Amino acid sequence: MLKIENLVKTYKDVKALDGLNLEVKPGQIYGFLGPNGAGKSTTILSTLGLIFPQEGRIQLFDVEVFKDGKFDEAKLVEVKKRIGYMPEHATLWDFLTPVQTLDIIADAFNIPKAEKEKRINELLNLVGLSDDRNRKVGKFSKGMRQRLLLAQALINDPELLILDEPMTGLDPTGIAEFKEIIREQKKAGKTVFFSSHILAHVEEICDTVGVIVKGKLRVEDNLESIKREFLRKAGYTILVETNVPVDWSPSGWNVTPLGEKRYRIAAEEDIREGVHDYVASQGAKILTMQVKEPSLEEIFLKMVE
Amino acid sequence: MMWGFHLEFKQSLRTKKLWVILGIMILLYIPVFYIIKSVGGSEITVGGAMAFLIQFVTGMAGFFIGILALLMGATAINSEVEKGTLRVAMSKPIKRISYIGGKFLAHSVVLLLALLLSTVVGIAGVVWLGAPLTSELIRDVLLLNMLLLIAMIQLVALGYIISTLIKSSGSALGMALVLAFIMFLIMPNVVGYLTFKAISDHPNMSYEELHQLRKDYTTKYLFYVPTSQVSVITEDVSSTDENLANTTYYGLPHAIKKNPVNLGILIGLTVAYLGIGFFRFLRMDLR
Ligand SMILES: Nc1ncnc2c1ncn2[C@@H]1O[C@H](COP(=O)(O)OP(=O)(O)O)[C@@H](O)[C@H]1O
Ligand SMILES: [Mg+2]
Repeated sequence: MLKIENLVKTYKDVKALDGLNLEVKPGQIYGFLGPNGAGKSTTILSTLGLIFPQEGRIQLFDVEVFKDGKFDEAKLVEVKKRIGYMPEHATLWDFLTPVQTLDIIADAFNIPKAEKEKRINELLNLVGLSDDRNRKVGKFSKGMRQRLLLAQALINDPELLILDEPMTGLDPTGIAEFKEIIREQKKAGKTVFFSSHILAHVEEICDTVGVIVKGKLRVEDNLESIKREFLRKAGYTILVETNVPVDWSPSGWNVTPLGEKRYRIAAEEDIREGVHDYVASQGAKILTMQVKEPSLEEIFLKMVE
Repeated sequence: MMWGFHLEFKQSLRTKKLWVILGIMILLYIPVFYIIKSVGGSEITVGGAMAFLIQFVTGMAGFFIGILALLMGATAINSEVEKGTLRVAMSKPIKRISYIGGKFLAHSVVLLLALLLSTVVGIAGVVWLGAPLTSELIRDVLLLNMLLLIAMIQLVALGYIISTLIKSSGSALGMALVLAFIMFLIMPNVVGYLTFKAISDHPNMSYEELHQLRKDYTTKYLFYVPTSQVSVITEDVSSTDENLANTTYYGLPHAIKKNPVNLGILIGLTVAYLGIGFFRFLRMDLR
C-alpha cells in the first residue's frame, strides 16, 4: 500500500530522514511513533510530494511515485485520488464554512453534485460539525478545525488515509471518538497510516507500530512486543520505602538512597519479588513499593543507542 | 487549473488589502477632478481631456494597483504555506502547475477588474468635465488597460518570486513595501534628478530633444519599473506645442508603435519573472 525505501531528506543543514525504510500493508492501522523532530512529518510530506526528498524510493498502491531523486507527477496525481491526508498544524480557509470547504475539496476530485451533497452531510455528522455547518471556519476552536480537517481527508472515501498527528490537541473524549472513526475505516477495509509522539494515541487501535528516531525507523512490530522491548531496554526503576533503614550492600543491586528509609533501585528486569524477600531477610518491612515505567522520551533515547 | 482559479478568486475578493487600496484610490480621484473643474476645466478640449485621462489613470492606477499587485504576489504562496492550506490543496489530485496557473489567472482577473474600476471612474470624471464619450476614447482606454495589466502582472510575478524566497509572509509583505517604495518613489525621483542635471548641462536643447532625453533615461534606468515603461508609452499619445497652447491627440496605437523597445522590456521582464516564479514554486518544499 505504502512502501518507502532508503528515503533521505536534508533541509539546508538538517538531515531529517537518514535512509528511512517503512512498509504499510493493505488493511493495516499503522501507528507511526516518534519524538518531536524525529522526521514523522517529513516522511508524510514526502510521501505526498509536498516536499522533495533527495534519495530513495516511494511506492503508493504499487505505483512508483518517487525514484532517483524525482517525483513522477502524473502518477502521483493519479494515486492521490485514492488517498486522504490530514496535515499537522493546519487551518482551512477562514472565510469559508464547513459546507463550502468540503464542497471545494470535493470539486478537486470531480465528485458529482448529488453525491457530493450526500457525502458532505454524512461527513459533517460523522465528525460532529452538523450544527456548525454554516459558520465561518475562522471562528472555530482548535478541536473543531481538527474535525473539519479529518472530514476533508475523508471526502473521496479514500483507500489510504494518511494522518499527521491527528489526535494532538484533542481532549480524551475527542481522542476516543477519533479512534472510533479509525476503527470504522478499518472495518470498511481501508488502510490508515498515522503519526504521533504520544504512546497512548497508538494504543488499542494499531495493528502495527513503527518507531522513528532521528530519521531512521528503529522498530516495526505490534505494540505489545514493542512495549516489552522498550521496557527491557530502558530498564525498571523501583521505588521502595521501608520501616527502618536497610543496608543494601550485600544485595549487589544498584541502589540510590532518596532519604533515610527511601530508596531507588535500578534493574534490568522486574525484581520486585526479590526486593521483597531481601528486605524481609534484613529484618525490615516494606511500607510502599512502586515500579516507575520509563517515560516515552527515555525509551526513545534508548532506542537510538 | 480552474480549481485553483476558483479558490483563489474567492480568496482574493475577500482580502482587506484589495478593498482598502481601491478605496483610497477612488477617494483620491474625486478631489482631483473637482479641482480641475474649479480651475477652468470647462475649456478642456477633447484631445486634452483624453490625454489627461490616460496620463492620470496611468499614474494613479499604476501606483495604487501596482502596490496592490506586488503585495498580493509577495504573500500569495508563503502565507498559504504558513496556514497549511497549500498542503491541503496540493494533497488533492491537482498538479502544481495547474494550481499556480489558476492562482495567477485569478490574480490577473482581480487586477484587471481593479484597473477597469479605476478607468470607469476616470471616464466618468472626464465626461463630467465636459469631454464627449467617443469610440476613440473607449478604444484607447481599453488598450491602456491592457498595457497596465501587463505591468500589474509583472509586479505580481515579482511578488511570486519574493513569496517563494521569503518564508514568513509578514517579512515578505515588509520587503514588498520597501520594494514598492524604491520602485515607485525613490528611483523615479533619482532618475528625474539625473535628467534634470543632463538638461542643465545642455541649456539650448529643443523641446523635442528634451522629451527624448527623458524617455531614454527612463528606458535605461527604470527598465524594472513596469509602470514607468507604460508612462513612456502613454506620454506619446499627444503632443503639446512649444508654448503649451495646443494639444494634438494621436491616440494610443500610435504611441505604442512609437515605443517598441519599452513594450518589449515590459513584456520581456513579465515573462521572465513569471517563469522564475513558477519554476521556483514547482520545486519548492511546501512546509
Ligand atoms: N523547513 C525546515 N527547515 C529546516 N529544518 C527543518 C524544516 N522542517 C523540519 N526541519 C527539521 O527536520 C527534522 C524533522 O522534522 P519533522 O519531520 O517535522 O519531525 P516530526 O514530525 O517527527 O516532529 C527536525 O529536526 C526539524 O527541526
Ligand atoms: Mg510533525
